Formats: sequence, C-alpha cells, structure tokens
Amino acid sequence: MNRRFIDWIWHIRGSLALAPRQSSDDAFSRLDPLFHQGGTSHDRTNDTLTFRKQDQAAQDKMSIFDGGILRIENGAGGSVLHYHLTSRALLFCFLAPLLFLAFAGATIAIGKLEKSSADAAEASKKAEKKDVELPQHPIDKALGAPAPEKPKKDKSEEDDKKHSPTAAYVFAGIFATLYVVGRILEDRLVRSLFKKKLLGSEPLRP
Amino acid sequence: MTLDGPWTPSSSLGVPSKPVETGKQYEGGMDGVRVGKRIIGAQAPVTVGWENIPRVEGGPVRQFVFTWFQPTMLLALIAFWYYAPNSIAKTSTAIGIGIGFKVLLLALEWVSPRHESWRLTWKELVTDLFYVGLGYTLLSMVENYIGSDAVIEAVQGNLDWDKLAWFMGLPLLVQAFLISFIFDFGQYWMHRGMHNWYPLWLTHAPHHFITQLNINKGAVGNPVELFLIGLGIGGFFDFLPRAALLAGTLGLAVGTYQHINVRFNSPRWWRFLFNTTEHHSMHHSQDYEATRSNYSSTWIIIDRVFGTCVDGEAELLGMEGGRRMSIRETMTYPFTEGWKTMKEQFGNRFGGPMAMPAE
Repeated sequence: MNRRFIDWIWHIRGSLALAPRQSSDDAFSRLDPLFHQGGTSHDRTNDTLTFRKQDQAAQDKMSIFDGGILRIENGAGGSVLHYHLTSRALLFCFLAPLLFLAFAGATIAIGKLEKSSADAAEASKKAEKKDVELPQHPIDKALGAPAPEKPKKDKSEEDDKKHSPTAAYVFAGIFATLYVVGRILEDRLVRSLFKKKLLGSEPLRP
Repeated sequence: MTLDGPWTPSSSLGVPSKPVETGKQYEGGMDGVRVGKRIIGAQAPVTVGWENIPRVEGGPVRQFVFTWFQPTMLLALIAFWYYAPNSIAKTSTAIGIGIGFKVLLLALEWVSPRHESWRLTWKELVTDLFYVGLGYTLLSMVENYIGSDAVIEAVQGNLDWDKLAWFMGLPLLVQAFLISFIFDFGQYWMHRGMHNWYPLWLTHAPHHFITQLNINKGAVGNPVELFLIGLGIGGFFDFLPRAALLAGTLGLAVGTYQHINVRFNSPRWWRFLFNTTEHHSMHHSQDYEATRSNYSSTWIIIDRVFGTCVDGEAELLGMEGGRRMSIRETMTYPFTEGWKTMKEQFGNRFGGPMAMPAE
C-alpha cells in the first residue's frame, strides 16, 4: 500500500508562492529564525532546508513538528516553497482514542471479574450497620444548612461506578475531536507562519 | 527554622540572619535576592516581594473582575455546598462543577493570558489532557486496589460511628477547614519529601519540566507521582459528605490557581493564607533555590509556619534550561534515572566498570 494513503495523519504538506523576484536565498534567510530554536538542528543547501527537532519548547512556534523538508522550486510562474513536515504529536493524538478505548475495555473486563467473585462472597456476608442520628451544630441549624443524613451506600451501585468506562469513552471522544481540530488548525497555522515570515512586513499579495 | 537545601557560598556573607524579603526585583543581573538564609534567583530570573509584582492592567471593569473573581467564586462555591439539598450534595455534582470551573478558567486564560510565553497551544492542550485522562481512567482503576481508597474502605468497614460524633458535632465550616487543612498538611510533607529524598524526587522531577502554567498542568507528571500525591485522608471523610465536599471546593477554588496563565489582583489576606499562581510559579522557576519553596497545595500558611514560603513570581520555568520532556520520557524517567544512579553507585562501590572514569 502506498504510505501516502495513511501518512497524511501525521504529515503536513503544502506550498506557498514566493513573491516575484524573491530568491531562494532571501526566502530561507527570512525563515531562518524559525530554525534557531532550542532542540532544533537544520541543514541548508541551495534550494532545500531540512530540520529536526527534539524536546522542543512549548514556546517554539513550530513545536508541534519533529522534522521536515522545505524546498524551493523555480517554475515558469515564479518560485514556489514546498514544505513537508512531520508531527508525532498529531500521530499521538490520532492514536490516543484507541488507548482510551482499551482502558474502557479493561475497566469493563475487571468489573465483570470482580462481580463474579463478589457474588460468591456476598452470601456469606451480612453485616448490617445500625442507623444512627447524625449530629448537627446549632450554628448550622440556625443558618439553615440541610440536616445531615448518613450516605446510603448501595454497594453494588458504587461498584458499578468504580468500574464505569464512561470517563475513558469521554476522553476517547475528546482526543478524536482534538485530532480533527489540530490537523486542520496546525496546517493553517504553519502556513500563515511561513507566509508571515516570507513576506516580512510587506502587505500580503493575492 | 533552617531551610533545607545546599548552602550557597554567598550565604556566609555578613547578612541579616532573620528572614528578610528585600523586595528587590531581578532585572537582568544574576545577583539573586536574599530571603532568609537563601539567595533566590541567582540562576534564573525571579521577582521577589509582593510590591514588585505587577497588577492587572486595563480599565476599571477589567480591574474589578480580576480583583474580585477569586473571592467571589470561593464564596459562591462555599454557599452552594453549604445550602445544597442532600440530593444534590454529591460527588458527581462536585465533579461536574470542577470540570465546568476549569473550562471557565481555560476561557479566562484565552482572553487574558498572564504571559504570552505561557499561552496554551494545541500541542500543550493535548499533552495536558492526556495526563488528565490517565487520572480519570488508569489511575482511578489502580487506586481502587492499592491506593488510599482501598485502605480507607477497610478502615471504614470497622468504623464505630459513635466515636466520630464529636467531629460531626462541630460547625460544618470548621469540619471542612480541618479536613482541608489536615489533607494539605499531608500534601505539604509529601511534596517537601519529594524535593528532599532522591527516590521520591525521581517521581516528581518530570512535573518540574513544564515550562508554562496552564489549568491542566497540575496533572502533568509521572503516574507514580500522581498516585503518591493522591494518597491522603481525603476519601476518609466521605461519611461526612457535606464537609468533605466543602473541603474539596476549597481545593478547587484555591488550589486550581496554582497552575493558571491568568493574572489576578489577589487580596492581601488571600495571598497570606492561600497558595497563588505567583507562589507556584516561583516553585517552578528554573532557579534551583526558588523551587525549594511553596510546597503546600492550598494553604500557603503552612509554608509560612515552616519557613519555606517565598512570596514572588517567575515567568521562566522548567529544568535543564527549559527542555520540554516528552510524554515517553515522563513515563520512564523515574526508572531510567533511578537505574542510572544505582549503576553509578554500585559500580563505584564494587569497583565495577562504572568506576572507571570516562576518558
């Protein structure tokens, strides 16, 4: 199978037209500050820049990416910057729902195991606690706080809650949503970052 | 009270021995500021002293909101749990309120960031939520069996209710204060222990690699640490649901501000009693001495009592020059670092290959 069918999950590709008469040297020197961040190493030849990042700071504008290639191609219609960036964070976020679904599965399985052993033990155990009147301080009574009552502990209900997979499902959903948001957002952010750097303070060209 | 930590050479200079906060602001120089017997900020920039901490800027409405937000929310939450009918005063309500409150604070971070360098990015949000997710799923699964929950359940099974009548007879707010304070007292010593005993430090170190404070950053760390810090008597008080929920709300409406990218004009009484973003940013500073302060979670007054409180703030956070620790390293760090240290120790002792200096 062609890897490209799946690698869009964590690869971001794109291209940007350079300003007319902008040389690749000028373009790369404008982008250069982006690759002088902590944990970043880069290598530049005439028309290609490759970079790698490790333990990049949260404050790094390209922190989501771990590596990539930027290439400038000269065509008839002017120069174009092609970029191809990889992000483990995107891949991680894509896979995170699976991890949380696995947690949900484990929670259900443990719950079932516990239930069968609890059922066996239940018959032999019948400890009833006597009901007592719970005290309330006169100040609280005067201020109108509701009278305390002993928590009615329904053991089985509590055990059900203990082994509820809901939280894991919610987080699987959160990460699936975050992935979609991140894949679109980070694509746009890096595009606008390159655009801003390439054009400097000049107005955007159509 | 002597402070733990290595003695810096400059500490032996002729200086006042009484704790004095000079209030000198760091401005580029690496002299540091003397606080008690320590020099704070000799390695990384920190601001010491409340008078040097900037206030919220902006118009009167903004000033008003960011001055009164904290006390108002605290009061509102206390009033809610004090008067809520028994049918509502449940843990599930508390979880719901907790999530809602954090979403509100995330929105505040968005509209009014304290530092641009702490701005929450997509990657940071995903990473933070991963650790939050672990807390809600994996850790809670484990805690059912080997954490304090399991112990508490065993103790409660043999509980003689009459013996606790005296505590239940106290005013509700006193009960809540005692639960919160005793719990935080335990947290203080566990946290201080983590900064002073190497095996515990190994579990806590990954949390100190965060380089910014956001709402969910409290959850970032090695699961072993999260498990240890979760140990406590909190769950023991679930037979006093209202007092326990009130105590929990103190943690929510005060402790949450440890990690937040929002500036508040916290009232003087608040920052005297309670932990604040300022205190906790100091604790997370890249300056080693500064990290050895402000250990409590809610009640900073515990730090004041034991001489570990430093009033101030820092923006530049982290360890090893602000290196960001990946999730993978966070998971393995205590074990790999522990193994490395053990190899060095035993290698040296038994004359193994590790004893040979690298050349």
